[in-house]
Amino acid sequence: MIFADIIFVIIILITLGGALMTVLSGSIIYALMGLVTTMFGVAGLYIYLNAPFLAMMQILIYVGAISVLITFAIMLIGPLYKKPKEWSYPLKFILAAVVALFSFFVFAKVILKTQWTVLSKPFAISTKDIGRLLFDRLTFPFELISLVIVVAIIGAVMLSLYSRGEK
Amino acid sequence: MCDTIINIVNIVGKEVVRTVIGLVGVFIVVLGNAIMLTWTERKVAGHIQRRIGPKEVGPFGLLQSFADSVKLLGKELLTPANVEKPLYFLAPTLIFVPVLVTFVVIPFDGFLQVKDINTGILVILAFSSLTVLSILIGGWGSDNKYSLIGAVRSVAQNIAYEIPLLLALLPVILMANSFSLRDIAEAQRGAWFVVYQPIAFLIFFVASVAETNRTPFDLPEAESELVAGFHTEYSGMRFSLFFLAEYTNMFIVSAIAVTFFLGGYQGPILPGVVWFFIKTYLLVFVLLWFRWTFPRVRFDQLLNFSWKILIPVSFLNLLVTGGILKL
Repeated sequence: MIFADIIFVIIILITLGGALMTVLSGSIIYALMGLVTTMFGVAGLYIYLNAPFLAMMQILIYVGAISVLITFAIMLIGPLYKKPKEWSYPLKFILAAVVALFSFFVFAKVILKTQWTVLSKPFAISTKDIGRLLFDRLTFPFELISLVIVVAIIGAVMLSLYSRGEK
Repeated sequence: MCDTIINIVNIVGKEVVRTVIGLVGVFIVVLGNAIMLTWTERKVAGHIQRRIGPKEVGPFGLLQSFADSVKLLGKELLTPANVEKPLYFLAPTLIFVPVLVTFVVIPFDGFLQVKDINTGILVILAFSSLTVLSILIGGWGSDNKYSLIGAVRSVAQNIAYEIPLLLALLPVILMANSFSLRDIAEAQRGAWFVVYQPIAFLIFFVASVAETNRTPFDLPEAESELVAGFHTEYSGMRFSLFFLAEYTNMFIVSAIAVTFFLGGYQGPILPGVVWFFIKTYLLVFVLLWFRWTFPRVRFDQLLNFSWKILIPVSFLNLLVTGGILKL
């Protein structure tokens, strides 16, 4: 059991270290690298919890797609990397602190209120089960999410068409 | 001696020993493949251009790659003054992670596989995204405009071509009903999936040429306009790591294409692993052939081809496959 605990602690350290790097680093590209590290840490947690499909999806979507898109956006907005840290704006700092504390208390409350039950045997759910669940019991939320994505795609297409000067 | 080995195996467990031996094998294949491919590429290029290619070092110039790698090892590692040091050093290392992880799940033969993971293809696709990330931080960290332009192009290209790549693999996953590469190879005992999915095979192959940044889609490192693209500022061993990763990626995409569409290690008479390497290197040869046959495409052609042709066609292919399977 001690081996598993060590691995758990390492994964947690990776996740938290990445998160701290994201928040505290002055350069936006290092913040992104921190984010990627955190994503890998979370994927590690999924593997630790015996959910390899979720872990791979986590890496595929958050590292492969979202982080790469963020980097792309950073490269398009110009050389920010030599700017000093932005501690000098008190209003920004206070707003950020308020948002962070609020979400911290919400999450803490939820975690404390939930009745956690310890499973007697390891939790195992196959990719097939997830697929069945998505198209059976969770069809409505699944379709709703795809609707959101369709709206986003149409919005993006419209924006790019307008900026090109076409109708 | 033998007892000690058995003792060690018993202490650390069979699975760990198997994985370690597998990883050593992977390293041998990666290095051997890169050395062979540099030689093959120069030979193929030579013959296509009616030259002979390397011929001085060793028989048929076979030792040329060894001589080159010794030269690269001996070169001074220059670090330009303005680079972002951590990112600059991280990039060549990071580009090797996906390469090694991918090899773990590729089935070279029925039992010759480091580990059969039941989400095998997802592991490959997930970790291959690290390649583009390391190209990005390498290009960004170099603090050089050619590198940056190369990196930006590489992202646009990778985003555009990862979608048809995924969509071309999905029909095969539907047909084999599994994410595991061994199951997919086993499912082709009767007929290869290329028979049922010729369009998906073509789409996958085109997209994988783009994903490996090979000509005609080599805009991230277009020599004639960007010096060397994202790896302009790298020299010596750091450059050769990028180089090694490129050649290994060629092998990997060919190996995936073989596993998914060409029956993997299946074939008559010869052992499976021989068949696997024959098929894979045939596809790699086609990649080399592409490079010396087609001119580089323009950037808008590249993106339009993916978004306007490959993606709609692969969606249609997926839809038809799903429909036929469920009828």
